[in-house]
Amino acid sequence: MVTQIEVSGLTKEFAVADQTITAVDRVSFAIDKGEFVSVVGHSGSGKTTLLSIIGGIMKPTSGQVLFEGQDICAFDDDRLSEYRNEKIGFMFQFASLLPMLTAEENVMLPGLFRKSKSAGDQTKVRELLHVVGIGDKCDVYPSQLSGGQQRRVAIARALMYDPRVILADEPTGDLDEETENDIMQLFKGLNRERQITFIFITHNLELAGMAQRTLRMTRGNLREA
Amino acid sequence: MKAEFTFSSLALRNLKRKPLRSVILIIAIALLVSALVFSLSFVRRVSSGIRLASERLGADILVVPAGSRGFAEDVLLENKAKSFYMDKGIIEKLKAIPGIDSLTYQTYLTTMQGLCCDVPETVVVAFNQDTDFIIKPWLTEKFGRKLQKGEALVGSESAFNIRVGLVEVDSVLFGNIFRMVGILDKTGTGLDNALFIDDGNLEDIMRKGKTDLKPGQISIVFAKVKKGLDPYKIAGDIEDSFVEVDTMARKDIGKSIITTLRDINYIFIFTMLLICFLSGFLTWAIFSAIANERAREVGIMRAVGAKESHIVFVFFLEVIILGSIGSIIGIFGGTALSIVLAKTFSIMKNLPLHLGVAERFIIGGAGFLVGNGICIAGALSPILKIKKMEPLMAIKKE
Ligand SMILES: Nc1ncnc2c1ncn2[C@@H]1O[C@H](COP(=O)(O)OP(=O)(O)O)[C@@H](O)[C@H]1O
Ligand SMILES: [Mg+2]
Repeated sequence: MVTQIEVSGLTKEFAVADQTITAVDRVSFAIDKGEFVSVVGHSGSGKTTLLSIIGGIMKPTSGQVLFEGQDICAFDDDRLSEYRNEKIGFMFQFASLLPMLTAEENVMLPGLFRKSKSAGDQTKVRELLHVVGIGDKCDVYPSQLSGGQQRRVAIARALMYDPRVILADEPTGDLDEETENDIMQLFKGLNRERQITFIFITHNLELAGMAQRTLRMTRGNLREA
Repeated sequence: MKAEFTFSSLALRNLKRKPLRSVILIIAIALLVSALVFSLSFVRRVSSGIRLASERLGADILVVPAGSRGFAEDVLLENKAKSFYMDKGIIEKLKAIPGIDSLTYQTYLTTMQGLCCDVPETVVVAFNQDTDFIIKPWLTEKFGRKLQKGEALVGSESAFNIRVGLVEVDSVLFGNIFRMVGILDKTGTGLDNALFIDDGNLEDIMRKGKTDLKPGQISIVFAKVKKGLDPYKIAGDIEDSFVEVDTMARKDIGKSIITTLRDINYIFIFTMLLICFLSGFLTWAIFSAIANERAREVGIMRAVGAKESHIVFVFFLEVIILGSIGSIIGIFGGTALSIVLAKTFSIMKNLPLHLGVAERFIIGGAGFLVGNGICIAGALSPILKIKKMEPLMAIKKE
């Protein structure tokens, strides 16, 4: 197995008023290419923070994240943006669609920032939206979609450009059980067929159990469960 | 099928989200640019009009009765009907001044419709055909002879006024009938509005008593100086020698207008700076608000791979779209204003020069650059601030 992500001594502190909160505390672990990993833990234990640092949307206070051997924390903005754009598919815990774009356009948004302008693959967008269960909402704006539907658009967006790693922060949080199942099956399939690495945060122990490996966060500390 | 999804469509859609705000900014920029285009057109037109006129006069020094400089400028630059007189004896005295090469003189009469004449109010220039070098260059080729008594030439602009066109007509000037026998080429000076007669007619005119001109009076002497001599110095010599006259070197012609113009210029500049500052401030305020409202969206775009430069690009597209629409409206507005108001400002109405297309183009271009420049300057700091935000922080900001 090839190590894809190697986190070592990762720490993130927030200065709030006059105290510091250590959201992630000297965390070290490695994930191989093609692994299907779940992260569990109480709310406030630092899961989102950890995932955000790995996804390159937040800088750690100290420590490093090696992605395929390269320290992403040392990247300049352009390289880090390319990393987010090409290597990572990020699914936020909260709504993350642009209100002035249709569902379809939101899915294509990352393509706008790519060097190779392959953004126009509309068949693929429609296919993806169909897979996540909203094939009939392609031209609809986020304001006309329910929370769960918006989340599905965000999932389609993360999958659109074939990332190496999908980082999903409670991806099925507000979906009904049936769709939740569909989405998990989709993840599993992608993981199996395309060797896409999945790290997903969940509160649902049943979902966590679907992973080959589960990591537990407790007050900023991480250990294998 | 909808239009392709690009940065510009993104920018356009962003602008359409808050149409009122976009419109306010466009109006502000349009006002700024139209004020700028108008003032530039005004200053440019007046100053180059005066320069052109003085260059075309063909004399190095003008000698006028003491205290009549302004009147002379009125006649020569703006064709305001003015009369001012001095004794003809000055000519012989001037000939004695060293450095003078040649001299000619003119006498100006003002017509008043109904009272003396059947032409609208204008200046009648009586000139001496033997010595003249002022009018001669503008005599059309066709008119290859001397003017006779009872004959008049018309300036290219008055040709329209009195509707002679190419047809010979008679007009009454100071009780005498004159036949309009020819038209002068366009000189680009106030003389374009005048009528020209030989000064041999003055006796007849004075006899009819319809003018306050006295025998032996003239209005102005034009002098050329010998090659290589300084007109300013000789003009100074003339003023020192004869208290009864004032002089103007060629470059001084229009000086009083240009001085006024400089003051107008300062007012324009001050006003422009103020408007620039206000529009810049407005842009800053609007884009600060926009940046704040869109922090989350910017964070999302960053999270899915937008570089800082992409974010800046989208915002700048918005700025440039607003700035360009505003500027273009402003350019048309300002140009229209300068054309319409030209008829209101007497200083512009009478100046011969009209701005050429090229000049209007340059002024428009300047307006466009300033309009967009102010927009960019105003929006710069909010945009730079928001691009620096960490994606997740921007997303969480609410
Ligand atoms: N931007 C921030 N500023 C200050 N404190 C933060 C910020 N983000 C997270 N925290 C704190 O860090 C800790 C971990 O947060 P988070 O990673 O969101 O937890 P989880 O996702 O496990 O619920 C919490 O105590 C939270 O209050
Ligand atoms: Mg969380």
